[in-house]
Amino acid sequence: MGSSFSGFSSDSDADGDGALAKPRLGDIPESCVAAVLMHLDPTQICSLARLNRAFRGASSADFIWEAKLPENYGTIVEKVLDEPKVLNLGKKEIYARLCRPNSFDGGTKEVWLDKRTGGVCLSISFKALMITGIDDRRYWNHISTEESRFHSVAYLQQIWWFEVDGELEFPFPTGTYSVFFRVQLGKSTKRLGRRVCNPEHVHGWDIKPVHFQLTTSDGQRVASHCHVDNPGNWIHYHMGDFVVGKSDTSTKINFSMTQIDCTHTKGGLCVDCVLICPSSVGKLINSLS
Amino acid sequence: MSSPPSASASSSPPPCPKKMITLRSSDGATFEIEETAALQSKTLENMIHENCASTLIPVPNITGEVLARVVEFCSKHAEAGVDDESLGAWDEEFVAVDHTTLFDYIRAANFLEIPTLLDLGCQTVADMIKGKTPDEIKKTFKITTACTPEEEEEVRGENQWAFE
Repeated sequence: MGSSFSGFSSDSDADGDGALAKPRLGDIPESCVAAVLMHLDPTQICSLARLNRAFRGASSADFIWEAKLPENYGTIVEKVLDEPKVLNLGKKEIYARLCRPNSFDGGTKEVWLDKRTGGVCLSISFKALMITGIDDRRYWNHISTEESRFHSVAYLQQIWWFEVDGELEFPFPTGTYSVFFRVQLGKSTKRLGRRVCNPEHVHGWDIKPVHFQLTTSDGQRVASHCHVDNPGNWIHYHMGDFVVGKSDTSTKINFSMTQIDCTHTKGGLCVDCVLICPSSVGKLINSLS
Repeated sequence: MSSPPSASASSSPPPCPKKMITLRSSDGATFEIEETAALQSKTLENMIHENCASTLIPVPNITGEVLARVVEFCSKHAEAGVDDESLGAWDEEFVAVDHTTLFDYIRAANFLEIPTLLDLGCQTVADMIKGKTPDEIKKTFKITTACTPEEEEEVRGENQWAFE
């Protein structure tokens, strides 16, 4: 760390003694400004970049962004981005790049960093899930919609055996993650510019709850159940959490959502995707949708 | 041969005399500090090892007023047996000062490479900044220089991603 001044104080009302102007925030070295910025969140750091040149320079200091990136960001970049050169960019650019939704696995998955915390978030389209009867048009259809980041969702008309399974192997950084199923009762369309929800096929969900199950390859297991409700709205159903202890290996998880009580049929459900994100981010999820 | 002081009934050995270092500020004031406390500063640590014979170290960039406080900080943080809570409270009081003094601490901690003090000072300034708009920060901290309109436009483009 140098002690060179960026030389900014232009106020001539410095002090009567005229010898050394009292330091102001605009005077302290760029490296110190960077040390201050490190304690702020990314959005605030970026908004302060325009204050003056020292702030602009300081806001790009590698050590700030290295601390905000996931500890295994190199592995994630390699897995998800097709451009290895990204790792040669400054750390701030890498952070920015990872904050954008990055599509992988043939467009069936997206991964991004939560801007504020740098936490890894991942969304898996229904296209990458195993849905019983998905190819049978008596039961399931695909609907194009802008209400999904994948631009289409699976719509269930009616079925006895409702089962959606999925699995994922991904290098999650250390932390606790929440898994959600994003579904909606009823089919929404736009009529004359207004959003309209068609509940014609909705039935059976109030009879018995759906069951969720989440397991990891290192033996964690969560099972829960709840009633699917709230027609006309996309809801993230929290199915459970898992913990990643070490980020040097990939984490493998299996998850499912089922309602296989064959004494009744159920239908009218849109299935969009499974969302995985840090628990702290997950807590806010339903207040945003 | 002098006999050891018999202060207590326990058989613990007498404390070793602590090695003291003298620091001299830019304006000629001198301050004594225990070597263990001084070692919190990477800069002082290097100087101590280079000047093994002498125990007087000139610190040209820092005035006596600020150096006195830095010595106080390092001594407190080198004290044995202080629990985290009391140290935290002490730190909070230490940085409850005006902006000018706070920036003095930061510059001194930067020059002397004292990570604990630098971190404390910067966190304090960061807490003052949090939640303020750039314009409020300019006013509070009297920042008078700015980017040109062209620079501002560039900065806006570079940082757009954070606001999308």
